Amino acid sequence: MRDLNAPANPLEMLAYILTKQIKDHKVVYVGTGLPMVAGILAKKTHAPNITMVYESGGQDPIMGDLPWSVGCPLTWRKSPTLMEMAYSFAQCANGYIDIAFLGFAQVDMYGNVNTHLIGEDFHHPKVRMTGSGGNNDLASLAENMVLVGLQTPDKFPERVDFVTSVGHLTGGNSRREAGLYGNGPIAVITQWGVYDFEEKSKRMRVKSLHPGIPFDIAQQTTGFELLKPEGEIPLTEMITPEVLHILRTEVDPRGVFTTLPAA
Amino acid sequence: MAKYQYDQEALTNLKISDTKVLDRLVDYESARAAHLAKKRDKADKRMTLKDAIAKYVSDGDILTDSGFAYVRTPHQAYFEIMRQGKKNIQMIGAPNTNQSYMIYTGNVSYSHNSYLGAEMRGIDKNYDRLLKDGRIKILSEWSHGGVALGFKAAQLGVPGVLSKQMLASDIMKYNPYLKVVQNPMREDNDPAVFIPALFPDVSIIHCHVADKYGNAYIYGPQVNDLAIAASARKLIITAEEIVPESDIRYNRQGAIIPFFYVDAVVEMPFGAVPGNMPGYYYWSRQWWEKFLRYGCLSYDNLKEFLDKWVFSCNDQFDFVNKLGGAKWIAEARRQTKAAEGDNEDIDFSYQEYTLTHDTDLYY
Repeated sequence: MRDLNAPANPLEMLAYILTKQIKDHKVVYVGTGLPMVAGILAKKTHAPNITMVYESGGQDPIMGDLPWSVGCPLTWRKSPTLMEMAYSFAQCANGYIDIAFLGFAQVDMYGNVNTHLIGEDFHHPKVRMTGSGGNNDLASLAENMVLVGLQTPDKFPERVDFVTSVGHLTGGNSRREAGLYGNGPIAVITQWGVYDFEEKSKRMRVKSLHPGIPFDIAQQTTGFELLKPEGEIPLTEMITPEVLHILRTEVDPRGVFTTLPAA
Repeated sequence: MAKYQYDQEALTNLKISDTKVLDRLVDYESARAAHLAKKRDKADKRMTLKDAIAKYVSDGDILTDSGFAYVRTPHQAYFEIMRQGKKNIQMIGAPNTNQSYMIYTGNVSYSHNSYLGAEMRGIDKNYDRLLKDGRIKILSEWSHGGVALGFKAAQLGVPGVLSKQMLASDIMKYNPYLKVVQNPMREDNDPAVFIPALFPDVSIIHCHVADKYGNAYIYGPQVNDLAIAASARKLIITAEEIVPESDIRYNRQGAIIPFFYVDAVVEMPFGAVPGNMPGYYYWSRQWWEKFLRYGCLSYDNLKEFLDKWVFSCNDQFDFVNKLGGAKWIAEARRQTKAAEGDNEDIDFSYQEYTLTHDTDLYY
């Protein structure tokens, strides 16, 4: 059983910060993992009227246990509609989806995402990873996207080894000129802080840092120069004991996504 | 002049010198001819899985995965392809969790990739190893939605579609089938990706019920399967149950694959095991964990794993017995009903597979 009184661990913090990106009455496209936790937590707290959409076709399921996969029955539990995959991505293209959440293995200073491979050589990579799945589709089509993952210099390189999904491409207006829809990534959430993208250059910028995290830590675990906001760097709003309790008892009671491997 | 103009940069990047290997996937003329040549009469198409695979899956075929990852995927039919030793298959995994073991066994030599791995269960280390050892040739990279649109174009009967997916990404550099074009309706700059209609040689679709002619009903997410059914040159239906045509007509209106697409009908209870079959049984979480955490660690482990789960099984019933038999079935049914909201919520907790926890009951 989980220790209900322990302070929030980094994954629980990530889940909460993701949750706060979700506004009530919106349609949210949810991927496997922390996005599922965030969607369900949002629905149980400040955003009870959101509609969740999943890649395999499930839409607006009634709440149940936490899904393990975007094809899991819990993603289409008593769904009034069940789409085909081409149509569920088309909803993104057609402007029915407000926000999408994506993971990454690498993300660069312009919010481009790599989930394909680590290394220079496509045929002999250091590590071959999953490839796109729906990552590229959501990044190409969604109105707003939020990226979530861990922050280390090799996960935050200046240029990703493979552009699986386009963020702000090479900065400035380049995403729009390439013909993609939407605003691109609006936030990157890691264990250290929340980042956004500077309006003109579209380079990654600190938006807030989590309590106790100095800028130097964030910078030292980043492979490129992070931009700073004007003035003092805000602190990320932390999870309250009430919400943490809901997360631990109702959303992810077994700690499938929100316990650390060592725990 | 060559019939197909593939993207030169992608051909170079993928080191493809002979483009013949790419042609059939986009050859709508031969697909149309194959569809025209199908018999139209309402014949009884039932046969055994062994016969269906022997007759309709040929060496070198382009095989598309169906279902979604763990859901309604015809794993048991894939295992039969392995037992029959089919060779040089091109596999389109979209979505996909499990083509890599078919590469190891030499059944699959080429892949059209969009996803490898099993979501939260982890990345596929076996694929990584096989790629570096040169045992798989990647013919194209895709996004899930990109492949879905290729099949959808085929289903709609159009040469291709224009999409915003994959634009400006490196996927474009590793996919010879895709082209960036200007939207012909617009004066200003409006790039789009032309995705050609895709025509696999053969697909196996696991359905809930089918009649003996091949009318087949799917409950739950259809994913790409209605489109794949329309585009594949050869189509095998495996079904949990065979029912009279009247049952389809009166009780199963909805997502139906029409009988005249279908070449073979196989009655195949537990055909999606160890995956999830909506309404019927939950997936075997521990089996997938064992595959990724033990089976994929080395070639030796993989060989041992496949010997147990594939080559020493004659059919799906042997497999289910190894998962835990009737006890496993009862629990899998209970879990999937709960997951779909069809009985009381139950506790979904279970003990994950670890190297030190390996029982004879794979929930």
